[in-house]
Amino acid sequence: MKEFDIEKLERKNIYTVPDHLFENIQERVMNDVKANKKAPIFKLNWMYAVAASLALIFGVTFVLNSDNSRGKENSQGTFAMNNQEPKTESELAYETLKSDLTSIENNNQSIENKDDNKNYYVQDNGEEKTKAQTVKPVSKHNEAQMNEYLESFTNSEIAELASNSTQDVYLDLYN
Amino acid sequence: MKIKDAEIISLMQNPRTQEKGVRALMDAYQSRLYWHIRRIIVDGDLAQDTLQETFIKAYQNFHQFKNDSQLYTWLYRIATNEALQQVNKMKKMQKSDEDPEYYMQNLVADNTAKDAEEIQILLQSAIQSLPEKQKLVFMMRYYDDLPYEEISKIVDMSVGTLKTNYHYAKQKIEEYIKENYER
Repeated sequence: MKEFDIEKLERKNIYTVPDHLFENIQERVMNDVKANKKAPIFKLNWMYAVAASLALIFGVTFVLNSDNSRGKENSQGTFAMNNQEPKTESELAYETLKSDLTSIENNNQSIENKDDNKNYYVQDNGEEKTKAQTVKPVSKHNEAQMNEYLESFTNSEIAELASNSTQDVYLDLYN
Repeated sequence: MKIKDAEIISLMQNPRTQEKGVRALMDAYQSRLYWHIRRIIVDGDLAQDTLQETFIKAYQNFHQFKNDSQLYTWLYRIATNEALQQVNKMKKMQKSDEDPEYYMQNLVADNTAKDAEEIQILLQSAIQSLPEKQKLVFMMRYYDDLPYEEISKIVDMSVGTLKTNYHYAKQKIEEYIKENYER
């Protein structure tokens, strides 16, 4: 070919095109447009972002500081509470026993105020102290009734009752 | 065309009529943009995806469109950028030992209709042998008959450079066809 001018050629599109090409493209584009409309994109303004970050930093700092000051107060309170001398084992045992006896009193059970019914506790220095138990004196009438009641049992019945009764752990330990 | 563009712009700028505007935009420009993209990419499926992406970008960035330029110039700019990005991806994915020019010419042969004339196939192959800028200028001038001033806005080149590029592109294509035409 010696002489050739492309300007004289017919402008043709020679590539194959699938069916419904533009319909498909339009449908896909419209689906995307609708999806974008449903989920709007919020553009972040830098000024707002900086302001929000600062507010967050100050907020967190304030909360942490208030927690620290509260913590100090709490720790002081705890220190004040802990500042009391620690109770010894014997003191604890005495308090437990005392509360047990109080509960007995509350149940309207009466104990004769005898010399034997003294509660003992031992101090740290090993000195033994007695503490008088303030209990109500049992009336003579009730005592007589109880004796009569007990006398109505035979020895074997009393032994059986004794075997069925449970032992009080504290009384067992400290008496 | 000018009045139609004004209508499309007005529809696109109103959020209530935006969807209608997108449809009008596609109806008006889908064919021209498709063939512009297809001549650059050659592959049919990728050209379809690229056109779709062009319209979505046009919709998403319509607030950036300024009335001082023509609507089709703006759309051609988006389409050209999208198509060139796609070509770069294709070139990266191809085998390292294969010549990119040879790869594009094979793609032309695979995508042409059975009844296509030999001279038309040679013309497409010759276009694919051109450097990128010459290829773009030649296609927009030869097939779309765009004025140099508008092409200048699309590819960011001066009118003088565009005219020179077109001249060299035409010369190379004619030589290619003369060498390869068998009849």
